[in-house]
Amino acid sequence: MSEAFMAYPELRHPFEATQIHPEGSTTVLYQGKVISLAETGSGDGLLIDPEDLSRVNGFELKPEGACYKEMCIPMNDDLLIEQDGRQWFSLGAFADLLGQSYVVDTEAAVWSFAEIPFKRESMMVNAMAPDFEIKDRQGKVIRMTDLKGKKALIVTWSSW
Amino acid sequence: MPVWQQVYEEINDPNFVILCVAEDTGGEAAAGPIFDEANPTYIQIIDEDHIISGAFNFVNVPSAAWIDEEGRIVRIDEGTYSKIHEIGEGEQAITFGNDVYVPALKDWVEKGADSEFVQSAATVTDNIREQSVDQQKADAAFRLANLFRAHGQKEKAEHYWDLAQELNPDSINFLRQNLTLSEEGSAGETFMKVIGDYGSFGKDYYRPLDL
Repeated sequence: MSEAFMAYPELRHPFEATQIHPEGSTTVLYQGKVISLAETGSGDGLLIDPEDLSRVNGFELKPEGACYKEMCIPMNDDLLIEQDGRQWFSLGAFADLLGQSYVVDTEAAVWSFAEIPFKRESMMVNAMAPDFEIKDRQGKVIRMTDLKGKKALIVTWSSW
Repeated sequence: MPVWQQVYEEINDPNFVILCVAEDTGGEAAAGPIFDEANPTYIQIIDEDHIISGAFNFVNVPSAAWIDEEGRIVRIDEGTYSKIHEIGEGEQAITFGNDVYVPALKDWVEKGADSEFVQSAATVTDNIREQSVDQQKADAAFRLANLFRAHGQKEKAEHYWDLAQELNPDSINFLRQNLTLSEEGSAGETFMKVIGDYGSFGKDYYRPLDL
């Protein structure tokens, strides 16, 4: 293992400057996905079209609230906001309520969200493997649920 | 990784899979050739955003989880070496790794829940690292940095990589990944200093192997 093997300075910034999203859009990063939102409301907390909620974080809006599997979070005035006769869902307020961490670059309009803690509760309490979704080198999406019925060794390594 | 391919072939059980995950922001250019060298038949993932480490609260490589047919983790977060490695020659030589992990893995694949190497849910949950609010935020910052890198926005990429390291100073992954993309490399002066600090504070660089 030579020094050069562990150093890739040329890969630090190999890309040409490109726009992250069309003018006026907002980008959300969550679970390795990059989600572009054409429309957002004005004001704090990232106000998204309620229709966009499920593609952003997998929650569905139902009469009983925002639901993921058996868990439903009841709506309130901090989460569902009226603006000029239009309804918005505050993703920031929702994350705060669920204790979900995020980092925002306001200038670039990019919100990067960490995992929602309750989605990992079954790992922390019952040792159940967390859900994940990631592409393999051939471009096939691999989900934790696809591995059911088999024993799996998930092993990380790195070129460094 | 040729070593894991060999293990996979030796086990050769249709009900056993290996997900070999390269935690490499350098992507195909950095990890692809190493995978190809192994002619792998297991599932190969190049995880530029370190999503898998984030999901299992890993802070170093190599790390692993054993997951049974029901999706239960039965061992987690040990320095996962498949053999004893030697770097350098003569008096300078450093050895690391072990030769007990793979036999334990094979025992589990063969015997399942009856394997003595299967740990209880209570042991596994104890062995999963706590992840503080700041550490969760570090994952978000790291992914934000990678997005800016992919769009050629260098200053912002640097800013959020630094933030990720500040928020999670225990992540060897973030430290070394960042050093890898520098002239110094991941095993240079900065890294040697960190390793030295681990030694002087009596901290474990990996969770000790409990085998």
